[in-house]
Amino acid sequence: MSILDDIHISRRTLLKSGAALGATSLMYPAMSAFAKSESPIKIGLIDPQTGTYAGTGGNEILGAQFAVDEINRKGGVMSRPIQLLIEDSAASVGQSVQKAHKLVNRNKVHFLMGAVSSAVALALAQAAEQMNTLYMDTGGHADAVTGTQCRWNTFRTCSTTWLLTAGDFQTIFDKYGKNWYFITPDYAFGHSLHTDYVAQLKKAGGKELGNALAPLGTTDFSSYLIKAKSANPDALLVLTSGNDQINTLKQATQFGLNKDMGIGGPMMEMEVLEGLPDAARYGYWNMEWYWNQPNTPHVMDFVDRYKKAHNNKVPTARSWFGYASVYALALATEQAKSLDTMKVVKALEGLELPPEIALQPHKTFYRASDHQLIGSEFPGQVKTGGVYPDLFEVADIVDASKIARSAEQKGCSISYPS
Amino acid sequence: MELLLFNIFNGLIIGMFYALMALGLSLILGLNGIINFSHGAFLALGGYIAYSLTPVIGFWGALIVSPFAVGLIGLLAERVLIRPLYGRDPLFSLLLTFGLAMIMQDLIRTFWGATGLPFTIPDTLSHPLSQVYFFVTGYRVFLVVLSLFATASLFALLRFTRVGVRIRAGNADLETVSALGINIYRLRAINFAVGILFAGLAGVLAAGRLGLTPTMGASLLMPSFVAIIVGGVGSLLGSMLGGIIIGVAAGIVTTYYPAASDVVIYLIMAVVLVVRPRGLLGQEGLLE
Repeated sequence: MSILDDIHISRRTLLKSGAALGATSLMYPAMSAFAKSESPIKIGLIDPQTGTYAGTGGNEILGAQFAVDEINRKGGVMSRPIQLLIEDSAASVGQSVQKAHKLVNRNKVHFLMGAVSSAVALALAQAAEQMNTLYMDTGGHADAVTGTQCRWNTFRTCSTTWLLTAGDFQTIFDKYGKNWYFITPDYAFGHSLHTDYVAQLKKAGGKELGNALAPLGTTDFSSYLIKAKSANPDALLVLTSGNDQINTLKQATQFGLNKDMGIGGPMMEMEVLEGLPDAARYGYWNMEWYWNQPNTPHVMDFVDRYKKAHNNKVPTARSWFGYASVYALALATEQAKSLDTMKVVKALEGLELPPEIALQPHKTFYRASDHQLIGSEFPGQVKTGGVYPDLFEVADIVDASKIARSAEQKGCSISYPS
Repeated sequence: MELLLFNIFNGLIIGMFYALMALGLSLILGLNGIINFSHGAFLALGGYIAYSLTPVIGFWGALIVSPFAVGLIGLLAERVLIRPLYGRDPLFSLLLTFGLAMIMQDLIRTFWGATGLPFTIPDTLSHPLSQVYFFVTGYRVFLVVLSLFATASLFALLRFTRVGVRIRAGNADLETVSALGINIYRLRAINFAVGILFAGLAGVLAAGRLGLTPTMGASLLMPSFVAIIVGGVGSLLGSMLGGIIIGVAAGIVTTYYPAASDVVIYLIMAVVLVVRPRGLLGQEGLLE
């Protein structure tokens, strides 16, 4: 402690820091005039703004904020404005749970939403249940969130890992061949994807040649790629996401692996495509939502509005997760005519998103049996030589209700508090 | 067996990269007495500046200009932030550079965005050189050669130039150097800038290999610290050796048990700290 004993904070320093703190609080945007008359409905949004998932998390926040602005312009929910309180999760479980407690206990938020990492989503679901608060998982994909660990208070907008893998399994199997090698991020999300693919691969008569588990945040994938190449598979399945996915694909391309085997995977995101050089843009992948749907009503209009507000950047699947999640909460609250957690939960169960929110051709609804949003998957091919934002060719928009497993198959049975 | 050989080779290449970072860190730790936690952020900055320069002056131009630009920023940071802390407890500069790293990371996020950016390397470098040794790409060979060249230049600078000799003398006994009438503030500033220049160079090279993200430096920083501790604090040659050792060790472990490839470098560090706390080539008494 001797070092700390030497630090003396003078009165002047203290005053200065106090003044600085005061100044920062002034910089937070004041709530709109409309908010002053009515107490707002508060949504606590916990998403990574720093760290590995800052790019994807940032887009979820933009999407959510966009929805809040739209709803407030149209008069809010139950004539009350919505207020979004955003906290940084840094994709860390500990920090996220701490922020969740702060948002509920101190800021008195009515709902919690957010997460990119599945580990964070699972932890937030549990923490929210303990605080009797509704939690909407925007972007943590592991099956367990609406599967073996499903909860009465938890809903999810993004797909399950099962839906991601089922979305493009057949395409990859048919186009590349039956001997597969996996590069898997070593945590809930990766394991879940791997299990789901292998189940389908075995059933189809294919063979798993190997699975390299890479810790989350790995930068150098060369040793995993060397193993993959020596196994000589037909297909290399890249299960990593975010920056890890960029690193995997970039290095696989530098090694020329894409010339020896087919490369693809369960999840491609605009954020990843933007970070890849053109040479590393290829393969069959699955998207969860895509901005270019010429035959789906309302999508063009949404994309134009979003671009205008965001410096000509198109909305990504992540933006849509944030957007749809906020609208789902707003619609359910309006329907329940209450902010009571259980009443809103009941209203969300089976809630179908109207076409101007769903922005996809198939029926999009929160399934009552497991609280999973069932909508569409967008399998297709990454465009080599594509120019932003035209980077992906959707082959087919798959109705998720045709490929989803039932709540029982997923091991989910929801028990409600008495 | 072939797989093992591949991974050892591959480890050598990765190790050279860690060595490049460790050299800069080691230089700064030596004369400035600072555990520079912002080294990773300067690395990222080097990559991002190169990204912005590439459309204007091309990859090769950016490769040269960006490290010097980062070095200049380092010079400024040393003058404004670090100089007032010399002579204080090392904890102060450690906390300062730690905070600086976070500020820089956020500035990068503000300027260039949180989403990764593609950094394209010239076509001539982006292909494997041989069908069998597919992991030996032109770029990686280039990376090793350039790292070796940079290291050799640094050693030449330290051995044959007046400034270099003074830096080495300062490492040995700063008070005496000061008493001999040498401006040690200027010496430390130069030394810091050279160390940061190395971070900038590593950043440009990393951008070509990995792509750009605001956090890219953070994940490369820890192995480089381990390289210094293994190789020996205060020894530049040791830092390089340390980098290569952990690179190869991680490569070997990956062949048999990939999940442990991260842990193994810390295990090596632990063993070195217990058996030979000064590191393989380290001076006795420094940070022991």
